[in-house]
Amino acid sequence: MRKFTRREAIKVTLGSFLAGIFSSCDLSDLKNPKTMIKTPIKTNILRPPGAVPEEEFAKKCIRCGRCGEVCPYHCIKYFDVKSGGVFSGTPYINVMEVPCYLCMKCVYVCPTGALVPCDKDEVRMGVAVINREACVSWQQEKTGLMCKTCFNVCPFAGIAIKIDHDFRPYIVEEYCTGCGICAYSCIADQYPENNGKKAITIEPVKWKKIKKVKLEDIKKS
Amino acid sequence: MKGKSFLEKIRSSLGKINTWRFFILFSAFVVIIGNPFVNYKWDINFIQGWFQSFGIGNLWIVSPLEGLETILTAKFLYTATIVGMVVPVLLAFLLGRVFCSWLCPIEFLSNLTDRVLGFLSKKLRYRKDLITLPRRIIWFVLITELLITLIIGYPMFVWWSPPGLVGREAMFYAFYKVITIEIVIVVAVLFFNLLTRRFFCRYFCPLGATLALIGKKRQLVIKYDKDKCINCKACDTKCPMGIKPSIGESQSVYCWNCAECVDTCPTKALSFTWNDDGIIKLKVHNSLTSMKNTDKLITTK
Ligand code: SF4
Ligand code: SF4
Ligand code: SF4
Ligand code: SF4
Ligand code: SF4
Repeated sequence: MRKFTRREAIKVTLGSFLAGIFSSCDLSDLKNPKTMIKTPIKTNILRPPGAVPEEEFAKKCIRCGRCGEVCPYHCIKYFDVKSGGVFSGTPYINVMEVPCYLCMKCVYVCPTGALVPCDKDEVRMGVAVINREACVSWQQEKTGLMCKTCFNVCPFAGIAIKIDHDFRPYIVEEYCTGCGICAYSCIADQYPENNGKKAITIEPVKWKKIKKVKLEDIKKS
Repeated sequence: MKGKSFLEKIRSSLGKINTWRFFILFSAFVVIIGNPFVNYKWDINFIQGWFQSFGIGNLWIVSPLEGLETILTAKFLYTATIVGMVVPVLLAFLLGRVFCSWLCPIEFLSNLTDRVLGFLSKKLRYRKDLITLPRRIIWFVLITELLITLIIGYPMFVWWSPPGLVGREAMFYAFYKVITIEIVIVVAVLFFNLLTRRFFCRYFCPLGATLALIGKKRQLVIKYDKDKCINCKACDTKCPMGIKPSIGESQSVYCWNCAECVDTCPTKALSFTWNDDGIIKLKVHNSLTSMKNTDKLITTK
């Protein structure tokens, strides 16, 4: 057998190292360059609690990852360049994977004020929207079910989410924190006609104090 | 290799500043890489983050350039950011670019690759620089970086800084079991090391430039004693930054205080010294110390 020269050995090691690195990167959902500067925040993809308005967020966030590292539920994730463009490295919460349980740990470690310390009930990550076509309680004529799951799991049950006299849930938008626990727990996706669709989605909203929340902001999407 | 037992080799390497430097680099690297795993597995989050912002309990450290960038783009002074920047700025002000040479994960990886290559052959470890650029480039990089940041309105360095990316990839791997495409930047930086040692750190690291600027009048410098120098130029070949201590460049703003040259010099013509005034005043200083500061004279001898 031929002996490897040192130069060849280096080349082979280096080559396989590079190949290994590149093949471990998943490029499947690489973004269209035009959308690289558009915010990736959308339905159910929200900034962590206490986040400043989206236009400001990427300017303030230093991409240090501290918010995600303290979150006991590991609900904070980070965009990378292929899914977030210039927003790469900024945190988000996908409430369908893990909702935020409002423990308020993350807001106190942010070094730049991208997440502003605030109380649980001041959080406005987004606002829950119930799709009455899909909600089994709103369709109780058809489904024969009176589900109260979202009401039961909401940390502000009776305040942010209420039940009307027919046991149908509705959202009080001024008080909904957008934590997404309701959307995560909604059982509507189990109902065959819904094809795996939940009846609640969380729409992003600007972070403001309760009184200052404008309903138009919330309803625009 | 010949004539020296293993124990003797260890003993002589312990006397070298660079053994300790490598040890500190290694420890810092372990913390940065290991912390996300500790965090994920056992939920111990006493330490959070990496070199963009590092939290040890209630002590917050914010990297000066990244902090400056967010302040510039957000046009907003946040107390925690400013307070967090105090420690690194003070460190750079007194000791110069020691973050780069003693803590930065990129320097650890470069040093490691150098050591591995040196294991294959000494020539590879202290190889000739294939590309050399004027060192002044680093200032233009810093200015360009800040300008781009101001123009596009998003802090740039915070998402492509190689030292930050090392921590971020570790975190991504610990939490989500993926490596992101940004790792290419780290690989590229290490790759350019093969052409010119510390190519990126020398010419293109805006953070290094910031720290160098802050440490322009630093207190810890490599002092060059002309009388002891036998002109062997050993220091020049060893300097990873392409600085020539043998012609008195060691106190320039570009030196990052790694002490490779100090370890190398056979006659101890180079030494870490506290409180010098820079190259220009060196000669004056020498004559002054012999009159005024006798204890300093003893240490240099
Ligand atoms: S409030 Fe708690 S659960 Fe919600 S994102 Fe922050 S750390 Fe995680
Ligand atoms: S702690 Fe703040 S600066 Fe750091 S990643 Fe989270 S939001 Fe960004
Ligand atoms: S309604 Fe849903 S999103 Fe709003 S606070 Fe309650 S659980 Fe959270
Ligand atoms: S959990 Fe879903 S299905 Fe059940 S009441 Fe709430 S919205 Fe309707
Ligand atoms: S002059 Fe000496 S201390 Fe300065 S960078 Fe070069 S080897 Fe390191």
